[in-house]
Amino acid sequence: MTEATDLDVREGVDRETVEAVQNMGSYKYGWNTEIEMDYAPKGVNEDIVRLISAKNKEPEWMTEWRLEAYRRWVTMTEPKWAMLNYPVIDYQDQYYYARPKSMEEKPKSLDEVDPKLLATYDKLGIPLREQMILAGVEGAENAPAEGRKVAVDAVFDSVSLGTTFQDELAKAGVIFCSISEAIREHPELVKKYLGTVVPQSDNYFATLNSAVFSDGSFVYIPPGVKCPMELSTYFRINAENTGQFERTLIIADKGASVSYLEGCTAPKRDTTQLHAAVVELVILEDAEIKYSTVQNWFPGDENGKGGIYNFVTKRADCREARAKVMWTQVETGSAITWKYPSCILRGDESQGEFYSIAIANNWQQADTGTKMVHLGKNTRSRIVSKGISAGQAQNTYRGLVSMHPRATNSRNYTQCDSLLIGDKCGAHTVPYIEVKNNSSRVEHEATTSKVDDDQLFYCRSRGMDEEEAVALVVNGFCREVLQALPMEFAMEAQALVAISLEGSVG
Amino acid sequence: MSDLAVKPIDEVTPQVSGPPKAADALEARLAALDLPRDGFAVAARVDALARLRAMGLPAPRDEYWRYTDPRPFNAPEAQALPIVGGPESPLFAARDTLTLVFVDGVFDAAASDDPALDGVEITSLADAGAGHWAEDLYGTLEAAGQSPVRRPFAVLNTAAARDGLLIRVTGTPSKPVHVLHRRGTDAADAVWHHVIRVEAGAELTLLESGTIGARSNGVIEADLAPGAKLHHIAAKRANDPKVGLSHLFARVLDEASLKSFTLAVNGRQMRHEAVIDMVGDDAVAHVAAAVMGDGHVGPFHHDDTVFITHAGLRGESRQVFKKVLRNGATGVFQGKILVKQGAQKTDGYQISQALLLDEASQFLAKPELEIYADDVKCSHGSTTGAIDDEALFYLRSRGVPRDRAIVFLVLSFLADALAEVEDESLRDEINERLDAWLTDQPLN
Amino acid sequence: MLNINNLHVKLEDEDKAILKGLTLEVPAGEVHAIMGPNGSGKSTLSYVLSGRDGYVVTEGEATLDGASLLDMDPEVRAAAGLFLAFQYPVEIPGVGNMTFLRTAVNAQRKARGEAELTAGEFLKVVRAKAADLQISPDMLKRPVNVGFSGGEKKRNEILQMAMLEPRMCIMDETDSGLDVDAMRLVADGVNALRSPDRSFLVITHYQRLLDHIKPDVVHILSNGRIIKSGGPELALEVEENGYGDLLAEAG
Repeated sequence: MTEATDLDVREGVDRETVEAVQNMGSYKYGWNTEIEMDYAPKGVNEDIVRLISAKNKEPEWMTEWRLEAYRRWVTMTEPKWAMLNYPVIDYQDQYYYARPKSMEEKPKSLDEVDPKLLATYDKLGIPLREQMILAGVEGAENAPAEGRKVAVDAVFDSVSLGTTFQDELAKAGVIFCSISEAIREHPELVKKYLGTVVPQSDNYFATLNSAVFSDGSFVYIPPGVKCPMELSTYFRINAENTGQFERTLIIADKGASVSYLEGCTAPKRDTTQLHAAVVELVILEDAEIKYSTVQNWFPGDENGKGGIYNFVTKRADCREARAKVMWTQVETGSAITWKYPSCILRGDESQGEFYSIAIANNWQQADTGTKMVHLGKNTRSRIVSKGISAGQAQNTYRGLVSMHPRATNSRNYTQCDSLLIGDKCGAHTVPYIEVKNNSSRVEHEATTSKVDDDQLFYCRSRGMDEEEAVALVVNGFCREVLQALPMEFAMEAQALVAISLEGSVG
Repeated sequence: MSDLAVKPIDEVTPQVSGPPKAADALEARLAALDLPRDGFAVAARVDALARLRAMGLPAPRDEYWRYTDPRPFNAPEAQALPIVGGPESPLFAARDTLTLVFVDGVFDAAASDDPALDGVEITSLADAGAGHWAEDLYGTLEAAGQSPVRRPFAVLNTAAARDGLLIRVTGTPSKPVHVLHRRGTDAADAVWHHVIRVEAGAELTLLESGTIGARSNGVIEADLAPGAKLHHIAAKRANDPKVGLSHLFARVLDEASLKSFTLAVNGRQMRHEAVIDMVGDDAVAHVAAAVMGDGHVGPFHHDDTVFITHAGLRGESRQVFKKVLRNGATGVFQGKILVKQGAQKTDGYQISQALLLDEASQFLAKPELEIYADDVKCSHGSTTGAIDDEALFYLRSRGVPRDRAIVFLVLSFLADALAEVEDESLRDEINERLDAWLTDQPLN
Repeated sequence: MLNINNLHVKLEDEDKAILKGLTLEVPAGEVHAIMGPNGSGKSTLSYVLSGRDGYVVTEGEATLDGASLLDMDPEVRAAAGLFLAFQYPVEIPGVGNMTFLRTAVNAQRKARGEAELTAGEFLKVVRAKAADLQISPDMLKRPVNVGFSGGEKKRNEILQMAMLEPRMCIMDETDSGLDVDAMRLVADGVNALRSPDRSFLVITHYQRLLDHIKPDVVHILSNGRIIKSGGPELALEVEENGYGDLLAEAG
């Protein structure tokens, strides 16, 4: 089960894009960690649902909630409307629960931790001390902190490995823990908010997630609190044939604010793997959540073999007046991406923003976008989507902007640009625009073009090779979205853009 | 939590519901028709009937009917919709045209001009016998336009149409061909099917005006040979209540050019589909519409559905759609530019805009791009909003009364669509008529 | 001619007073300039006088030849002889400049009970006046202000003024965005319209326009009130010393 590339790990996250291009190999996160795993039997049924619930030591109400979702799920059919082509998924041929046994025995120092795991953390901009905590090094909590603080929760296959900086966050009243812990420790909050943004029955994948989610992150920011540091979850699928179904719930109470980062990787496998996550954001009066994702699941190889099937339901509910949410996503991985982070703008004067870069190379297929549902008065939304297609890939922006009759004086601006690299790929735009009042203004613009030859030539005449030049131009094309990311993530994303496009020219 | 608020995109049902559910409805629909069993193009009609039975009628939940209820078109019988309001001279009536009159979708030779005209050969479909040149064409462009999206009512038309015009253009006729529609009975269920073949280098202007049936289903198949030009302008009489479907299927070969403009003012429920296949290199296709809907005159729902396929090199396409809506009127636009692999240097443009004059009106749009070639320039834009207060104030500060100022701004809004009418005098005539309509029915 | 008495104006959307008791009289035949720093209420004054939405008069009044302006619709004010030359003239695609002008001229004539101009009469007049302002026949054919340069837009405003023959002309920062040649052209156009029964209210931030359009009286507007009035020398004083001293003097 070993399959590691012997690429040098890049030293930091702040290298120039151009350097990143020079260092292009295959999928960089494609190593597999050899850890003995504890699996539940393959397939999904009520017993598996009960087992997952029991493993997480959940109370009865949670088990019932899961079972209700499961019973709903078996009556549903997989949606087929997206511009995605993939073989039939056998939902009974997956493991729904896997847990590393070795987590019982903690490593004594970082030397005992897989260096590549650390390297990946490094790329995610996670400071050393937190790396130690994440890796479960004994006594790491006492090591001195350095640099900018980012509290991290890591989810490895099905299980949360640990959350850093819990004490410091607790001082501010912030709760940041795994969702399994939250179900045990903060049932009143979980009961109040879980499933209120993405209901159990929302869609096929979300319903499956509701039944079998194994872990994920939970965040609660109390009224008036500005979270003292950025919060981050790092997701990794490691075990073979394992589906990952994490569930994230973030609540920003009145006047609170938080910036949340999410990173995802998976090892290289010949077989495809399923990922169906749910993220729910609840934003109350005057509160703000900034949610950034760099999704770099294994996209499959150059021949379209393997890769993650990524079916994700993310939704933010701006439940009260002046609530604000900003989704930023950099989608470079996965064989199949089915993802529409959305904003329900319920509160008057609430705001939703969606910034997205979606790169599809080789045989990748991405169908991604957003929904902006304007229900409150004077609500605002902004969509900036940059899609890049290369190789034989298909990349679709799918979005909905809906202005309800009551959402008077609201605004939406949508800019959706597609870039094609090569003549075998596809770029598609499928916006739905529904305007039911006249005081609102909706503007949608979309363009599709190829990489500008003049720009490429200019770069090359200054000494860059073609791939460097393409990477540079593509990064320029994505600039508006990259700027919306927190600094460290932006650099990581910039490098990823280059890596994702390897082999796309010439 | 409101249902609408969380209704995911994935609740969209897959395209077209086929049999068996809809089979009964389809048979009922067919039973009400008097299907031609022999004569011209009988093979194409038999084929169409088989295709229709295989695909069925659309259901309200079909993706392609997301914004328009197909049921009025599915119903076996047309609903009687008497014409209200005073007389109105049809557009283009004062021009020197070759006028061909249709009453409830049936050609009226006695009321028409003599169809003899240099450069064009015209036969009515009802008069065409087996072996007519159009027999090879009838139904073929319609059939080709059924993929990737099914258009059952066009198939129904091919199976059922008893009349229409078969027009072969060999030169440049000295005047436009003008199809003037009249309504005979209040419950007329008019079905007509024109086939137009514009030969290499030939050029035709086709005008349509007048009052169509209470329910209508019209198909135009236009085949443009290399270098051919077709200007099509459809401007039906305002305010007539009608439930109508029309389809324009066109095949555009090398260096040929198709320009189609539609004007719609009030009505009831209408859907116009343009399905343009740009197979040749350097082909040009422009499709445009100016639509004004006033829910006060009667229910108003107008749907423009456009599907332009670029298969040749260096094709240029434009879609310009403008809708002015008030008093609960609904405007729909579904537009698509499909650029096939290899259709390099395509220049595709699409704009859909709505001007909502009050809170009750709505605009629903799905402007799509589907692109499989890299060296292309494609863009689309869509905007929805109210009258620009700043511009309104500017006009009023110059002494222009409010009503008049709004007329100005509406005409200003529609100008880009009208600009797609190449002939200046035709454009002016349409603009003047729009102005008169707007002035007669003050907008606020 | 124009009388403004203790005018208080606030924004409709927010509780923010812009004009706070402005009093001003412009007698027939005179040119008055209003100068003031940014945010003093200059543009608000021009918009309130011409009837733009978005402002609420909380106190005071404004009359033109004794008739109260504030209750009139904008087009009624225009017919009554009020004209505002916009700082940012609005573009109206699809509506020809000539059509626009002729509609405006005839609407005003009709409102005043005068005979409408025929197309021929109108054309003759507009061509002559356009030529004076170096407005080409092509500009007259193009849609209103669409694709016009900054200078062309301002000249077009003056052409409208010349055609509509208002009695009271308000010019809102007409000099903004103009180079020296364009400014001279605009000023010549305005000066040609000066007459004993026509008045001007020239709103400007800078003194330079007043070199070309000589004012009879200069008012300094600050924080919603006229804080000082004087002759043309007041404008020169502002040019030399800025607004600082005057504002300090006014407290």
